[in-house]
Amino acid sequence: MKIKLTIFCFFWVSTSFLLLGRAFPQQNANTTSTPVATPISKKLKLTQVVMCEKIKELNPENEAVAFSISIEKVICFTFFDPVPEKMFIYHNWYHRDNLSTKIKLLLQPPRWSTFSTVQLRETDKGPWRVEIIDQQGNILHISRFSITD
Amino acid sequence: MDTLFAFLSSIRWQDVVDITLNSYILFRLFVIFRETNAFRVLIGIALLWFFQRISVSLELIVTSWVIQGITAVAALIIVVVFRNEIRSVLQAKNLRAILWGFSFKPADTPLEIITDSVFELARRQTGALIVFPAKDDLGHVVQNGISWQGLVSKEMILSIFWHDNPVHDGAVIIKGNQITEVGVILPLSHRKDLPSYYGTRHRAAVGLAEATDALVVLVSEERKYVLVVKGSQVKLIPQKDDLAKILQEHLGLATAQKKDIKKEKLKIGIVALASVFFVIGVWFSFSKGLESQMAVEIPIEYTSLDPGMEILDTTTGAVRLQLAGSATLIKSIRPEQVKARINLDTAIEGLNTFMISDKNINLPPGIVLKSVKPSVVEVELYVPIIKKIPVQVDWVGKLPEHLVLEKVRLDPNKIQVMGSKKVLENISTIYTQKISLDQIEKTGKITVNLSLDPAFVQIAPGSRDKVNVEYVIKKRVQK
Repeated sequence: MKIKLTIFCFFWVSTSFLLLGRAFPQQNANTTSTPVATPISKKLKLTQVVMCEKIKELNPENEAVAFSISIEKVICFTFFDPVPEKMFIYHNWYHRDNLSTKIKLLLQPPRWSTFSTVQLRETDKGPWRVEIIDQQGNILHISRFSITD
Repeated sequence: MDTLFAFLSSIRWQDVVDITLNSYILFRLFVIFRETNAFRVLIGIALLWFFQRISVSLELIVTSWVIQGITAVAALIIVVVFRNEIRSVLQAKNLRAILWGFSFKPADTPLEIITDSVFELARRQTGALIVFPAKDDLGHVVQNGISWQGLVSKEMILSIFWHDNPVHDGAVIIKGNQITEVGVILPLSHRKDLPSYYGTRHRAAVGLAEATDALVVLVSEERKYVLVVKGSQVKLIPQKDDLAKILQEHLGLATAQKKDIKKEKLKIGIVALASVFFVIGVWFSFSKGLESQMAVEIPIEYTSLDPGMEILDTTTGAVRLQLAGSATLIKSIRPEQVKARINLDTAIEGLNTFMISDKNINLPPGIVLKSVKPSVVEVELYVPIIKKIPVQVDWVGKLPEHLVLEKVRLDPNKIQVMGSKKVLENISTIYTQKISLDQIEKTGKITVNLSLDPAFVQIAPGSRDKVNVEYVIKKRVQK
């Protein structure tokens, strides 16, 4: 399976915080977000998970649960607040219960937004899910969506 | 000698019962139907079949084909044409008579009563016609007979021919000591040489005697005399003794001596033996004929499975059997007669290994199992467990470009399913049946079934097999 992965880390949020000495207003704060369960790790908190078509100005755009294959890629956007220390989290992408790819993402304190992307092929049609997993292997959240015609 | 012992030791008790039973059935058919025309025709058909087999063995193609056709049609015709005769034979006999009884001679006809009655009728100027059948069947010659089946008595005969009796104009038929039919219409004779004073009664008596070998006793109403008509002869009977003598002669009572009974018993004995030999011949040709072999593939049936367990997997679903037996029996095997069964009453959870032998195979009598492949079957059983699994919608199709399916909510979002631990360990999502996006243009709600493979996973008792899907459609944020 040829899936081109793109990993982006947003340093802008954390550097602004350090420079200004105050919490930078979360760029995605007004973005429609999926309700998320309290994470298993004590301090790390997953505040927002969104499956979307693109990221524009640090905000997920066109959140959806069904994506046409014609858009060529799907993005799983996650926002953590707070992030107690530098750590990794994982985005595990499953196509019909089969692990398609596992993406390691870096989180930086005090809060961090990050996302992973999957490039779509014709054979990728069908139901998918993305598991957000912390360093200890705890599942923080599962997002479900479909790739359609 | 060894061959004989080997043959005798190969005979099963079932074969003895088989031969005995069928010999007796054949013998009883002879005893019951021996005096009927249907039986004679049946013998003819049997001979036809015999000749057909000979013509087949001699490779006379057309002859065998023609005889085969005639035999098939004749078998049908015998049932249609002789249905009345067959019915009357079976109705006349009770179950004991059909299964066991023998009648070496018919009940004696009471000649004295008959002769007394006939001359009493003549004295009273009462006309009468009394028929005494011989070997010919009268069924096709006479008409409108009313079944009577009454014992012969003087009072009975006098009352039947009494003027005011509705059946007095017809004839009566006497067989043995019984009046079997009354009011019988006889065929009229067309002879020109009969005296001019012969009326309808006379012509009826002559007509039946001409057409059959029956003897007819006639009492003239006007002339007060008694006539006996047989064949083409009409004889005036002046005295009772003369009538008794003629009837005795016609009915064979004078010669029915012990010697005849002995002869009859001998005949029955020969028939009984012939029946046994015939059935042995048929049995031999069926079960000990030229040995043939055939292979059949049949599905395995599993029985006595613990209700708390289910079959997860088997190494094979069918077995291939190599069967042997006589060519006739092998050809006649039907698939439903052959069964392979494995009893699971001692099976445990997990992998079970079973050897398949002749004990597991049901075969028709006379067929032998030569080999079975595979001879070992592994059956994996499991005790079903219940697991709660999230449900996910399986969307297909395409929304219009300007729309986005933003959110979806399922009720319930998890369902309980039942299956083997091994299978359920690998299932983390239950999908709905496919929902098409092609027709969706606005937010809505739909109820769908779940997509499960019932061979592996089933909805747990009490859990819902459908989910409600609420979806939210929004306009796409344009680029």
